[in-house]
Amino acid sequence: MRIKNLELRIMNEEFRIKRSVPIISFLHSKFSILTCVFASLLLTGTSARAGDEQTREAMKGSIVYLEISSYGYDQIRPWKNTDIQQKSGVGCATGAYQVITPAWNLTDAKLIKAKVLGQNEYIPAKIKTIDYEIDLALLELEPNAMKKPLKPIKFEDKFQRGAKLNYYWLNANAEMTTGQGYMDRAEMARSTVSYAYLLNLIVTNTSQETSTGQVYCDGSTPVGISCWSKSSTETGLIPAAIINNFLARAKDGNYPGVPAAGFAAEVLLDPAMRTYLKMPATMKNGVQVTSVYTIGTGNESLKAGDVILAIDGKELDAYGKFLYPAYDRILFHHLITSHKIGDDIVFDIWRDGGKQQLHVQARNFDVGEMLVPYYEYGSQPEYAVTGGFVFQKLTRSYLANWGKDWDGKVAPHLLYYLRDMAFKPTAQRREIVILSYCLPAQINLGYTDLSQLVVSKFNGMPISRISDIVKAQKLNPGAKYDVVEFELDNPTVVIPRQQLPQADATLATSYGIRKLVNINP
Amino acid sequence: MRKKIKPQITLKIFVFLCGLSVLGGECNAAGLGGMEKSVVMIRSAGQEFDFVTPWKPKAMAQGTGSGFIIEDNKILTNAHNVSNNKYIELQKEGVAKRYPAKVAFIGHDCDLALLAVEDKSFFDDTKSLELAELPGVNTAVETYGFPMGGRRISVTKGIVSRIQVDTYSHTGADSHLVIQTDAAINPGNSGGPVIQDGKVVGVAFQGLRQADNIGYMIPTTVIKHFLADINDGKYDGFGSLGVMLYPGLHNPGYKDYLNVPADQQGIIVIETIMHSSVETILKPGDVLTQIDQYAIDNDGRVEIYGLKLDMSEVVETKQIGRTVELAYYRDGKPMKTTATVALNRPVLEFARQYDIEPEYVCFAGLVFVPVTRNYLETWGPEWVKDMPFYLRYLFRNSMQLNTDRARKEYVVLSEIMPDEINAYAEEFKSQVVTSINGATIEGLEDVWKVFEKPPEGFYTIMFMGMDRPLILDAKEAHTLQSKILTKYDIPQQTRLEGQQ
Repeated sequence: MRIKNLELRIMNEEFRIKRSVPIISFLHSKFSILTCVFASLLLTGTSARAGDEQTREAMKGSIVYLEISSYGYDQIRPWKNTDIQQKSGVGCATGAYQVITPAWNLTDAKLIKAKVLGQNEYIPAKIKTIDYEIDLALLELEPNAMKKPLKPIKFEDKFQRGAKLNYYWLNANAEMTTGQGYMDRAEMARSTVSYAYLLNLIVTNTSQETSTGQVYCDGSTPVGISCWSKSSTETGLIPAAIINNFLARAKDGNYPGVPAAGFAAEVLLDPAMRTYLKMPATMKNGVQVTSVYTIGTGNESLKAGDVILAIDGKELDAYGKFLYPAYDRILFHHLITSHKIGDDIVFDIWRDGGKQQLHVQARNFDVGEMLVPYYEYGSQPEYAVTGGFVFQKLTRSYLANWGKDWDGKVAPHLLYYLRDMAFKPTAQRREIVILSYCLPAQINLGYTDLSQLVVSKFNGMPISRISDIVKAQKLNPGAKYDVVEFELDNPTVVIPRQQLPQADATLATSYGIRKLVNINP
Repeated sequence: MRKKIKPQITLKIFVFLCGLSVLGGECNAAGLGGMEKSVVMIRSAGQEFDFVTPWKPKAMAQGTGSGFIIEDNKILTNAHNVSNNKYIELQKEGVAKRYPAKVAFIGHDCDLALLAVEDKSFFDDTKSLELAELPGVNTAVETYGFPMGGRRISVTKGIVSRIQVDTYSHTGADSHLVIQTDAAINPGNSGGPVIQDGKVVGVAFQGLRQADNIGYMIPTTVIKHFLADINDGKYDGFGSLGVMLYPGLHNPGYKDYLNVPADQQGIIVIETIMHSSVETILKPGDVLTQIDQYAIDNDGRVEIYGLKLDMSEVVETKQIGRTVELAYYRDGKPMKTTATVALNRPVLEFARQYDIEPEYVCFAGLVFVPVTRNYLETWGPEWVKDMPFYLRYLFRNSMQLNTDRARKEYVVLSEIMPDEINAYAEEFKSQVVTSINGATIEGLEDVWKVFEKPPEGFYTIMFMGMDRPLILDAKEAHTLQSKILTKYDIPQQTRLEGQQ
């Protein structure tokens, strides 16, 4: 079972709002308790049990078992695949031949097969839309391989603190399996891979670890699918609102993604800082912008040091949370991610000793737009091998190859770009291109120990992205050598062009590299 | 999170850290060739410094090592036997009397120290030892000293296994010539002489923990440099050229690209170090081919003392301030220059330091210290991996990252002594200070300059990699200063160089 740790310390810590006990009004909490008691009374009744049985029966035609064969790429030898991995997950029907499942189930999927209750044969499935940020994928099952269509499920926003939830899934033997848990709270969370904070419902005391798409129901109402779990104590659900938005936007096959913040903000508790910012003593709300990106929502309007007082009129407290009636306090990111791309979002900010209002456009960005992408799934990493020198694009997945505590082990000059610059690509610098290492051969004699160097120039051309390497190789046609320069103090790499075709052919054979260059068009 | 640790190194320093009860017995001088008149036991009590909250001393530790008498009634031993010492006591073989001693000179970078004894009777019936040249590989040597396993002088025999340049683990950063031997060197042997034909060929000082019988001694080339250095009454240390080199001429293409004749060997200049004598003379891409009369090969080695050794060995023969003649190629032309040997230390000191009371500034409960290796090692046995990002980045790359010619050191907020004024400062702990109220912080003194007098309004402290400043109400900070110092029993608000 994969565990997505909510408190995962993503390297760059671009968001440092500390989780805290939300301030709940006394009245409100009293009401919650009353509702809980009422709800549990209902559920313990015989009618509730009968209802559960009915729901279980109904789910039989809606839930599928997914078996995924994933075949990723070796980050260090990107011309090579990793070992095949078999994963399993749960799919939930949203159409007659359509299911949703967490995107994480499908990373580097090469073959997806579904099983339904009452049918022995596997049903081939393919990805229609996938969004790793919200952790959802829409799969299409092959209608001709199915005896009968699926019964679509409709997810609904229903949140009752303390409500007993049942979850349903189909196991590998296509048996309907169930378990229970209790709805505890709503939180903004970021998956292990993603950069965006999204609303999760948190279920506690679950019977098992559920993190692969198990369908959670409050009574007969499906409320979400599981996407992470911490042992069997807690499970995160992708809530109905996100699922329904995703389905609505994915319908026409031209899925735009969800907006993401183009800045980082941190708690603003320090009264000295508030006085320094000339905020009135009575003004206790607002969260401080500590870093502004070059991509994402608000990046062009906000400045580091701004205090965000409210978004769309919803007041943010000093922890960056706003009051969402059903969920209590949740992080402001929800006010951005729940918009459609292109929507106008109103930021009330404190800047230069006064209030200002900014209208910003809800924007998203593809992970590939990041200076150092957090992940690359479903495609072969880009690289170029020339003269035995392995040039690659720097990604977080690449650095994660250093294993446990990799952030303390990787070269700090590489980590710097991930930690401080990942969301700050510029026109001059869209990617960080590195000399990963050198495959020893006669042509690179004397250079074989070079590794982990950031490329600054190739044949005099500043390198902004990995594809520039191929362009730069065509420069200076009369020159004897390709010349590669690096950041910090490092030797210059000199590759004799005359020997290069022969050397590359030999290297490709001896090191078993079928394709020396993989650059996406 | 933090605890003080023993240095995490493969090379184990052989100071014997526990005392044994005194054993009686008859004189065992027979077979020692008179060495018992020259080799002495050194017992030292030392106290380390606290590099996070520097006004507090650390626990006391005692150790036993060896030393030997050289000309002019001086006792030569390892620096690590007597580092951070509070009291030193000497004992001669077979003599009950203890003699208090003092450090006359100490060179941490070469792990050597010279001790002086006030009581002249110590030198009754002693014999000083002479220093020899470098011994040949595969020649026999004997080590003398007071290693663990007994209280009497001990002798072991072996041969010279190899001679090369290696790291001296006492500072963890300095490299000099070492001689490897298979003569057993054990804890307590440190500082004892290694003898060939009755003369000293080295000072036993470290060994390889994982290996069998790999012990190292400091050769007489290094000892003589140390002794010559202190002739003027102070120790300056070993210098360098101040240039970063890369052995890239193995590649014929690189050699051709740099316009170096095909039959010419040499080593490529990658960068010169700020403030070094060659900073503006040499350029990246220059190829050094000769240092004094020694030709440099493609590995950067020269033939010296009849051995192939790193070219730094030529620099090691010179004292600070002396010069070497360099021949180099630039753009296909042979050139010559003179370089002055200097300390050329990095702005973030790589070497572990001793005997220097660490500096600090404590203001509004915020403790500022210079970033040194000693400070970084407080992150425990895996400090390189465990320390916060910017400290690691600077430790690895300060020479490239620092472009400020006036920078003396980097300053870090090492600790927060909790008080209402700094209640929200936690996120800034262990971060590197860049400026305060717009003034660039180039050293700890700059921190104090800003805090000494209260400005109007606020102190705005900026940290590396952070856009948000730490804000202090200046007036309030000054009002609370003495109260906080009293609360945490901090004897003085600063300890700065040259400040009493």
